[in-house]
Formats: sequence, C-alpha cells, structure tokens
Amino acid sequence: MSSNPMHQFEVYPIGPEINLGPVNLSFTNSSLFMLISSVAIILLLFFGTKKKLVIPSKVQLIAEMSYSFVAKMISDTAGTSAKPFFPFIFTLFMFVLFCNMVGMLPYSFTVTSHIIVTFVLAATIFIGVTIIGFVKHGIRYLELFIPKGVPIVLLPLIVIIEIISYLSRPVSLSVRLFANMMAGHTMLKVFGGFVISLGLLGGWLPLGFSVALTGLEILVAFLQAYVFAILTCIYLNDALNLHH
Amino acid sequence: MKNLKEISTRLEIAKKKIKISEKKIESSNAASLGKALKISTELVAAVAVGTTIGYILDSWFDSKPLLIISFFIIGVVAGILNVFRAAKKIGEN
Repeated sequence: MSSNPMHQFEVYPIGPEINLGPVNLSFTNSSLFMLISSVAIILLLFFGTKKKLVIPSKVQLIAEMSYSFVAKMISDTAGTSAKPFFPFIFTLFMFVLFCNMVGMLPYSFTVTSHIIVTFVLAATIFIGVTIIGFVKHGIRYLELFIPKGVPIVLLPLIVIIEIISYLSRPVSLSVRLFANMMAGHTMLKVFGGFVISLGLLGGWLPLGFSVALTGLEILVAFLQAYVFAILTCIYLNDALNLHH
Repeated sequence: MKNLKEISTRLEIAKKKIKISEKKIESSNAASLGKALKISTELVAAVAVGTTIGYILDSWFDSKPLLIISFFIIGVVAGILNVFRAAKKIGEN
C-alpha cells in the first residue's frame, strides 16, 4: 500500500467528520499542512521583525530578504501602481513557497500537489484581477480583447481567440504548479521504491538519483512559488495599465 | 579626516561590487528556468480551455462534433499566441 507512489497524495480526515449539508468540512491532513505552513510563516515574520537590529540576525535577515525580494519583483513587473497589492502578493508567495517547502520534508504532505488547491488560488487571482480591471477602467477594460490595428473582417475571430487566451490564464497558472509538484514528488517516491526493491547490490544508483532529485525538487519548489507570484504581478499589471 | 576619506572610497568600491553581483543574479539560470517552465504550460492550457468551451457549447446547441473541432483549433491558435507573447516579453528584457 505505502509502496504505491500515489499513496502520498491521499487526503484523509483527521478527527471527527464534519458535514455541513452536502459539503464535507472535515479537518484533513491537507488542512493540517496548510495550517502548519501558515503558522510557520507567521512565526518566521514575527520573530524576524521582533528585534530590529542594525546588523540582522539570521531570522531577521530571512524576513527582510523575503520582503525586499517580493517588493522588487512587484516594482519590476507591475510598476508603482501595484504597490497597494503588496500584502496580497507577499502572502501568496510566502504561502505557496512554504507549502512547497514543507512538502519537501519526509513524511509530510504537499498541499500544492492537488489541483483543487492551486486552482482555487489561481481562480481567486483571476476573478480579483478581472474585478480590479473593471473597477479601474470600467467597460473600457474589454478593449483588452481587441488588439490595435486589426481589420474589421477578422475581428470576431480575434476576439474569440483573445477571450480563450484570457480564460486560459487561471488554468495554466494552476496546472503548472500542481503538475510540477505532483510529478516531482511521484518521481522521488518511484526512485525511493527502486532503492528498496533493488536492495544492497543495485540500490546505490537510484539512491544517488534520489539525492539529486531532492535538490532539484527544492529548486522547483522555490521556482514555482516565484513563477506563481510573478505571473500574478503580470496579470495585475495588465489590469492596472491597460495597454498591450 | 583621512580615515573618513578612506572609508568613503571603500564604500564606493563595495557598492560597485554589489551592483555587479546584482546584475549577475538577474540573468541567472534560475530566472530563465522559471521563464521556460512558464511557457511550457501556456500552450496546453489554452488548448484545454478552447476544447472545453467547444464541448460545452456543443452540448448546448446539440451540434456535436462541429463546435468542439472549431474551438479546438481556435484554442491551439490562442495557445500559440500565448507562447509568442511570453517569448516576446523575454526578448524585451
């Protein structure tokens, strides 16, 4: 059972089952690891900003670096008009990063390896960005679907293409994160299984692969959080500054 | 006073070094790998969305294979457009 590489993605309730009508609201292992990630972020930022030393301690350095990293990312991609959205993007980046990184610990559960989690995040961003665009530009936000200098004959086709391209944003955003996390963790498990089944004689090669893949997975965990946040910035930039 | 001057020159040298290392970080492998990963899913997502829309519209209008085929093709076009735009953005930087 536990040698099944997909077994690690199983969601099971912890404690009593809570049903609210047809909706199952039980506290699951997925919720537990979301909670762990959130608490870890809060603790890091709390202790990082508690003692404001001129020469920062390690924890303070991590907190300050994560702040300046996200601040720089926003100002580079979305400009100064996106500054009010810093708290949202910072929270998003830290949450995805910590979920990915907590998932790298042995015996833990990777929250972001489930499409429903990543899709809810992406859909929230998508709906939010669309609302921001309409609030800021009104009906003129629909000009996003009409590129400049298109002949009137081609316009209906182009508009449909642009709408599909716009609608594909949350899908690509969520599938990217989910697929990378799930594929990586499955691969780690498969190579781990090879070590056991090949035994003392042949198990060394997959063990080496496992070690290398763990390093790669840590890089991917960071990169995916980065890409997720930077694409949110780009979409926000499209909504705030209407030109393309 | 001599000490102060020495410190300021040392500061300037250190600042220059930081600038050089920052430039290196910007064009590092990790950033380009992120961009590559970004593009890879753009194409697939648009095709999936186009096909899904075609399927839903087909079941609405009862025109089984017609709309799903045309929206699949439109989805492919939208996907290529997405990839083209993402690649163009990299070129600008």
